[in-house]
Amino acid sequence: MNLARISALASRIIRQLLRDRRTLALIFVVPVVIMTLLYLVLTNTNSVHTLALVRPTGTGSDQVNTLINSLLPGKDTLHVININADQVDSTLKGGNADAAIVFPANFAQAVASGQQPAVQIVLEGSDPTVASAMKDEASGLLHQLGVALYVVKLQQSQAAPTGSIGSLPLPLAVSTPRYIYGGAQYTYDDALAPVFIGIFSFFFVFLLTSIAFLRERSQGTIERVLVSPLTRAELVVGYIGGFTIFALVQSIVVLLFVVFVLRVHYSGNLALVFLVTVLLTIGSVNLGIFLSTFAQNEFQVVQFIPLVFGIQIFLSGVFWPVAQLPVALQPVSYILPLTYANDALRGVMLKGNTFVDIAGQLAALLVFALFMVLLSTLAMRRRVV
Amino acid sequence: MDIDADRVQETTTTPANGKGDESMVVIERLVKQFGRLRAINDLSMTIKTGETYGLIGPNGSGKTTLIRMLVGLLRPTSGTIRIGGERVPSAKVAATLGYMTQLSALYLDLTAKENLRFFSSIYGLRGKEQARAIQEMLERVELADRANDVVGTFSGGMRQRLSLACALVHRPRLALLDEPTVGVDPELRRAFWDYFAQLNREGVTIIVSTHQLDEAAHCTRLGLLRFGGLLAQDTPQQLLLQSGKDNMEDAFLYFASHKEEQL
Repeated sequence: MNLARISALASRIIRQLLRDRRTLALIFVVPVVIMTLLYLVLTNTNSVHTLALVRPTGTGSDQVNTLINSLLPGKDTLHVININADQVDSTLKGGNADAAIVFPANFAQAVASGQQPAVQIVLEGSDPTVASAMKDEASGLLHQLGVALYVVKLQQSQAAPTGSIGSLPLPLAVSTPRYIYGGAQYTYDDALAPVFIGIFSFFFVFLLTSIAFLRERSQGTIERVLVSPLTRAELVVGYIGGFTIFALVQSIVVLLFVVFVLRVHYSGNLALVFLVTVLLTIGSVNLGIFLSTFAQNEFQVVQFIPLVFGIQIFLSGVFWPVAQLPVALQPVSYILPLTYANDALRGVMLKGNTFVDIAGQLAALLVFALFMVLLSTLAMRRRVV
Repeated sequence: MDIDADRVQETTTTPANGKGDESMVVIERLVKQFGRLRAINDLSMTIKTGETYGLIGPNGSGKTTLIRMLVGLLRPTSGTIRIGGERVPSAKVAATLGYMTQLSALYLDLTAKENLRFFSSIYGLRGKEQARAIQEMLERVELADRANDVVGTFSGGMRQRLSLACALVHRPRLALLDEPTVGVDPELRRAFWDYFAQLNREGVTIIVSTHQLDEAAHCTRLGLLRFGGLLAQDTPQQLLLQSGKDNMEDAFLYFASHKEEQL
């Protein structure tokens, strides 16, 4: 191994990538755009849902309505309108609201007299995601209302035991959930951001390496390189060096973006994220070299993408945990590098895992990387020239 | 162009008087089989240090296959190749070779200078020595004014010149040039051949393949290749003399038919 030759190769690869504006955009802009899209889609910040309220109207309802108003979330994403009891179905069918909370007219009276009045939630229901979100929103609101009424009752019984809500029924006291990992502020996006850091480095490095290596073959430069004192092992190491540096810079950019711009929540040591990225990239570079020796042109390289990428997106636990996959498919998951990378990245960013906690996943990634190094070196010997 | 009549003799492995008679390349009973095709057929030849040896022959005669075996890209089916006494493929030999492929194998997204820097780096050139070698080669192939331009913007002839420069920038002892003058205009082509002669004087051995027979006269010696075997081998003048023709094209045809009569 000659370090000078390896660094000559690595710096040539870096120079080539730096010169290629479109590829640079691919590496740095596309992940940022995709993360932003993902963030927007998953946190629904753009979609304003409307909740229709049929308020209580009877005696003593002013106080209840004041309570409801104070409990309504001051979110831009939730719009609240007031309707009458006979407008519920037409409002939802007309698309003017996504859900309705229907209080009985005599709600306040019923509460005051110690009954448990039935409050109805009505959901539009054609979009399960919206329906589910609105159901959570509505029941959350009602739950808070229950607690608030209880508090009001307590205050009144202690300080000034007069007033219309003197004898409230005792609502169920539920404290805010306690999280082992993450917290209430964590969204689905927080759970996806870590794995996408891994996916980006794996995918782009695979694509870039396989095309770069294919070009070396089709332009004939690989012959010059192989004829030179540069050995095949040095060639592999030089490629790893050049592309790993890019993958690392990419990870840093993506990580900074999701943490500081999208404000994705995380805990744990971010240095471990880069360690995972490095191991994943070494595997990816060599997978790229290996598969590109089977391709005759760029189009054939692109044909490998569904094979390499599609399978891993579905089976590596990106969207659905591996444990929820059909039992027959689970063994496949455990030979995919992204399965281990996803585990490790989520472990670090969501659970605050340490090096020791993810040592198993790191070992699996190392085994994959070394196996691919071996394969690409062998493939080069047999198929390149 | 000066042709030494003494070199005509087929004295090979024994180094005779004078350093110019040492053999740089010794090929013995070389065979290369691709499936059913025998690309090189029991070829034995010797190339002397400091000569320019021209491999002449039609397409498919085995020129490129032979060169690829010499640089170690292909392994012989049988037979041996020795370069500087060392059996190839060998890492020690690789460092002393310069190889120019038929395709002008260059990184199109890099500048001329960056290409030269990369190829000279992997042959171990560094620092000032490297910078000097690069500048010298750029001037030699008349690309100094385009040194910092991306190769993708170069014409075919310019790429060919840069490709030659990349093969020679690290000062190889043996340069293997596969069709080096394709697409190069006559004036510069002449300069190339002058440069080859200069390299010869500095002790560099050159093996050149070409199917442009008019150029063959520039070589010290010629080997006429056909069906992977040697039809004839001598100085250009002797080959003309033996065939009784006044140009290499007719001479080649003469030897080709002559051989067939023998078979």
